Parts: sequence; C-alpha cells; structure tokens
Amino acid sequence: MHIERDQELLQGLAANDDKSLETIYLENFPMVARMVLQNNGSTDDARDIFQEAMIVLYEKVQEGDFILSSRLKTFLYAVCRRLWLKKLQGNSWQGPINEEVEETTAVEDTLEAHEEKDQQFKKMEASMAKIGEPCKTILEDYYIHRKNMQEIAERFGYTNAENAKNQKYKCLMRLKKLFFAQK
Amino acid sequence: MNDIHLIQEIERYLDGEMSVPEREAFEALRRNDPAIDQQVTEHQQLLQEFRAHGRRKDFQRRMDAIHAKAEIPQPSASIRNLSIRRTWLNLAAAACIALLTSLATIAVMQKAAKNSSTAQYEDVRRVLNNIQRSQNALIRDIKSNNKGPSNPGTYGGTCFAISRNGYMVTNYHVVAGADSIYIQNNKGEAFKAVSVFEDVSSDLAVLRIADSTFRSAALPYSLKQQSIHSGEEVFSMGFPRDEIEYGKGYISAQTGFNGDTLKYQVSIPVRPGNSGAPLLDNNGEVIGIISGRQTSSDGIAFAVKAGHLKRLLDELPRDKFSRKDLKQKNQLTGLNRVDQLKKLEEFVYMVKVYN
Repeated sequence: MHIERDQELLQGLAANDDKSLETIYLENFPMVARMVLQNNGSTDDARDIFQEAMIVLYEKVQEGDFILSSRLKTFLYAVCRRLWLKKLQGNSWQGPINEEVEETTAVEDTLEAHEEKDQQFKKMEASMAKIGEPCKTILEDYYIHRKNMQEIAERFGYTNAENAKNQKYKCLMRLKKLFFAQK
Repeated sequence: MNDIHLIQEIERYLDGEMSVPEREAFEALRRNDPAIDQQVTEHQQLLQEFRAHGRRKDFQRRMDAIHAKAEIPQPSASIRNLSIRRTWLNLAAAACIALLTSLATIAVMQKAAKNSSTAQYEDVRRVLNNIQRSQNALIRDIKSNNKGPSNPGTYGGTCFAISRNGYMVTNYHVVAGADSIYIQNNKGEAFKAVSVFEDVSSDLAVLRIADSTFRSAALPYSLKQQSIHSGEEVFSMGFPRDEIEYGKGYISAQTGFNGDTLKYQVSIPVRPGNSGAPLLDNNGEVIGIISGRQTSSDGIAFAVKAGHLKRLLDELPRDKFSRKDLKQKNQLTGLNRVDQLKKLEEFVYMVKVYN
C-alpha cells in the first residue's frame, strides 16, 4: 500500500506536479533533518543534504528508468545518510553516524551517477555565470522555455527576429566555448 | 552553408523537425564529414546539459518555496548533551593519561638521574681487605701501648689534626657506622679515637684521640678564612695506601658534584683512602677537605669548603677544643713544597675503621 502511494508520488514528481513534490518534501525532510542534527550538522546542512537527495530522485525519475525497490522514505534516508557521511569525511570528521532508521538501501550506484551529473552541472553553472546577460536569459528563453525568436526579439528590444537569432547564435557559441574549455 | 545555418540545421535535426529526405541527406553529410558529426554531438551534449541545468535550477526554486513550510525539528537536547558530555569525558580521560605519563616519566627520569649520580660520585674511603676482628683482639691491641691492631681495618681514610690535644677532622662517610676507630701516623704510631661530632650534611666528622694526655707540636697550618678562587694551585696529603702520598692540583670550579655549593671541584689525583685529607693552598692554609671524586672522568675530585669546617668547629665545646690552635701563625708560608710536606705529614693520619 505504501509502495503504491510512493509510486504515485514519484509519477507526480516526474511530471513536475507541485503537489507531489510538496508532499514528498514535507513528509521526509524532518526525518533527514533529525539525522543531520544528531550528527554534528546544522539545519542549513540538513536542507542542503535533503535537497541534494531530492535532486538525485528527481533526475532519476525524469530519466524514466527509476524503479523503487524500497520505500521512498528508506531511499531518501539512505541517500542523505551517504551524502552526509561523505561531507563529514570531507571535513575530516571521523566517527560513527548515529542511526535512527535501521533499514537502509544500497544507493552507491545511484550516487555515483549523480556525482557525474553533478560535475556537468557545475561546469554548466560556471559557464552560465560567465556568459552574463542578456545571453543567459536569451538562451533560457529559447532552449528551455521554447519561446520563438519573435517573442525574444520583442522582449529584448531587437528590431526583428533575424537580429535576435544572430544574437542567440553568438551567445550559444560563447557558451559552447566556455563549456567545452573546462575539464 | 554558413555556421549559423548549420546550427539551425543541427537543431532541426535534433528536434526531429526534418522531413525524411532532409534527414537522410543530413545523416549522409554527417557520415561523410567528421567535423560536422562532431559539431552535432557537441551541440547535442551542450543542449542536454543546458536543459538539465535549467531543470535543476527550476526544481531547486520549487523546493526552496516548499522549504519554508517544512517542519524543522529542534536539535534534540539530550543527544547534544550526551555528545558534549562524551567530549568532556574523552578530554578528561586524555588529560589523566597525559598527567600519568608525565609523572611516570618524571619519576623514571629522577630515578635514573639519582642512579647515575651514585654511579658517578664516589666516596674515596678505602675498603680494606680484612672483614672482621674479634673484640678480644681489639682489646689486646689497645693494651699494647701505641701499637695499632695487627689487622688493617674495614675501611680506611685520612684525617688531620685541628688542635694540639688530639682533635682531628675527617669525612663523615669514613667513620659512619664505625664500631671503633684507630688513627695512625706516618711513623706507624696508632691511637684509638672516638667520633665526637658528625655532620652528615657537610660530610664532616670530628674525631678525638681517646688518650686525653695526647699532645702534639703546634699546628703548622691555619684555616683559611677567605674563599679561594678557581685556578689557584692546591695540594694535599693522604693515605690511599699505608704510605702517605702527596698530590697536587688546582681548584677547577666553585661548586661540587651536581652544583653542590658546599664543595669545590678540584683537579687533583685522588684514590680511595684520600677521604678526609686536608687540601691546602700554596701558603699552607687549609682550604678544604677531600671528600670524593667523579668516577666518569679522571682527576675530578671534590673537597668540602673550609668555611663549613669552621662552622662545625664553632659548635665544639669551648673548654675542651681550643680554637686558637688553628689560628696560630702559619709555619708553612714561604717554604718550598718539600719542607712544607715534611712539616705537614706529622699532622696527617690514616683512619682505620672497624665495624
């Protein structure tokens, strides 16, 4: 019964349904926050860790190949636990993590894939920071929000769609150069 | 086909907006031109990452909006306290261990230092071969006037006269625990003596010849009142064997072993048996009493400063011990060393201790 409810929530999450996201978030955050707080963390640490785990979950369900092998709660807890442990080790804090929920699930593969994605994300983040405005918004409007060139030209005050297209092309080339220049 | 047009075509291709013939033509172009193929791959990757980035940003914004509604548990006090208490316990344990270790180290070091001190400092009394004598033999010997016991004593040292009526000074360690004490001069005359005053701290003992009628000639030396400087030449006479021996050296330091301020360090050859021997300067004034040596190096000896002897003598009973004997005019001043020794040797005695 739990599993069925979890599946429904995940479908909602994949479809960008705000209600599903809110439900998952509010139901699971306190558990993770307790775990982090009990292990030398702050509430800000708890938020960062939990949101990172949610991103892992979100990107997996978006890819469409996510099969929930345990309860959603267990999955999130396991991911958060791994992430927090890693952060503690990074801060050279050694010691056992106080367990609250016994059952955990193997999340190593998921997190490895996530780490790769995270690197690409950071590369893109850095490139985006460098191209600046209006390039950033033009590219977002065109490629993410799928606005047509006419709308973009009007928004940014270009005389016609052709000028906007040229500008978009230049922006894209700059982004490409920045992105692939990073190792 | 210029670049902007190529990008447009790539995008149309990737978005699946091309008609079938267009698509086939583009794929053929892609196969034949690796540069175009790479452009397509890169463009695809770039857009993919770009969109993933946008999605994640968007998702993050949505979560941040929800986060405001989330219930944030209060840090559980008991667990915090527990971990704090645990930290303190650990600290306390560490401190205890550190303290214990330091104390143990200090103890060991001090013990080692003590051991090495006793190893390096050696009293120079002489251990004689004979072990024990019967009391009968002793008594018989005393009766035979002025003849010492036929057997040598257990320990031997040196003493010298500090008055005409039989007061002698030697080291406390020479006579410590003695049953009976005999002193013997270089001519072989032996006298029974008793210890009348002992001072452990300065390692000095005052002996008195048991025969109350004993009288000697006037003492040729006097007790030097002032302290002596390092480098000044000194000499001594003592009994490291049955014959009196002369030794010469110089004051090498104002303090004795391990900074002992009661003593001088003297560079002079000493051997077991020299304990209690007088140390005199070139003028023949007594400046100290030989008491020990450092075993680890040759020629380093220690002598109790004469000032402590004077302090000791002040405590002797005035009616029996005449202080003026040591304040007579010094007869050794100006003499050459041979004549000095000739005069001195009559007043230096071998101490034999039986116990």
